Amino acid sequence: MSVPDGALARRAKRAYEAGRLEAAVGRSLLLLPIVALALFCCSDPARILISGLCLLAAVTFCLWRGQAYGRGVRPGLLAGIVPLAIPLAAQAGGHLCDAGRCLLVPSVCILAGAAGGVALGLLAPRPRDAHGIPLVSASLIAGLAGSVGCLLYGLIGLGGMVLGLLAGAAPVLAARQVR
Amino acid sequence: MERLPPPDLQRLMERLADGDREAFRPLFESLWPFLRRFTSRHLRPEECEDAAQEALLKIFRRAAEFEPSRPALAWALGIAAFEIRTARRRRQRRREEPPPEDAFESQRHPDPTPEEAALTRDLEAMLREALGALRPEDAETLRLFARGERAAVAAATFRKRVERALRRLRAVWRTTDERP
Repeated sequence: MSVPDGALARRAKRAYEAGRLEAAVGRSLLLLPIVALALFCCSDPARILISGLCLLAAVTFCLWRGQAYGRGVRPGLLAGIVPLAIPLAAQAGGHLCDAGRCLLVPSVCILAGAAGGVALGLLAPRPRDAHGIPLVSASLIAGLAGSVGCLLYGLIGLGGMVLGLLAGAAPVLAARQVR
Repeated sequence: MERLPPPDLQRLMERLADGDREAFRPLFESLWPFLRRFTSRHLRPEECEDAAQEALLKIFRRAAEFEPSRPALAWALGIAAFEIRTARRRRQRRREEPPPEDAFESQRHPDPTPEEAALTRDLEAMLREALGALRPEDAETLRLFARGERAAVAAATFRKRVERALRRLRAVWRTTDERP
């Protein structure tokens, strides 16, 4: 039986969007083990859970949306892996240190953030590409990924990571803009 | 035969895979007639439309997975070919081909004995009675099916009607057969 083309086009569009969403969710769920590890290491899982869910939501949205948004996902995750992994490694290595009680924590998060920022500056698309959307999505994802690790040490850890990320990325991006 | 230019299809699929929604409409408008023609060459008229629709929906559902390094035309045709094979297998399972009109006639003994003739008359009477006991729409469905025709509905809908009508016919037949 022949279906009017308009109805079929709408069904095809819905199938396309559903397929994109399914693919995006499938790929973002690959981050679950890392978020689960951070939850396991943390004495206050609520904040890690929130940042983890925000990270999954951001990655899913950018992958689903595609184009300029999607191009920021890989550089963002690669840049965010450093500030995510180092606090987890420190925690796993037995250095249990609550925020405010030792100087190591903010230092670790600042340095990890700076390393992530340099990676972001090198890997992310330049600010003038696609009206800066890929850079914004990469920065957001890097920040959220880093927050999953650095929130282990509370808001000081988060703040230190963000400062480091900005400090690391800004000069590298500025240098790339000039070239 | 109007052909879909491969370069357009490739470019449109790549854009759609990347998330460019502007590519949807031109791709739909060039792919849909192409798929209909392709399936019509391999399936019956009542099957080709459904298969083409299934292939189209599957292509768009999997568009996000499309790799730009692959030839888009071959990828799309692969999906369409799968739907064609599925439709053929479904047809074979259902054995939708009705028997030839004289199939039963030719199996009859050319010179039946009086007992065989009486038995045949009784069976035909029972079948007529069973058909008469069905609802009119079930009886009509079976008559169309026996003639190799189909009601003006989708193939899947007609298939379900046939299955339902046969089930009811069997139930009625059992009741008729068990009467003293």
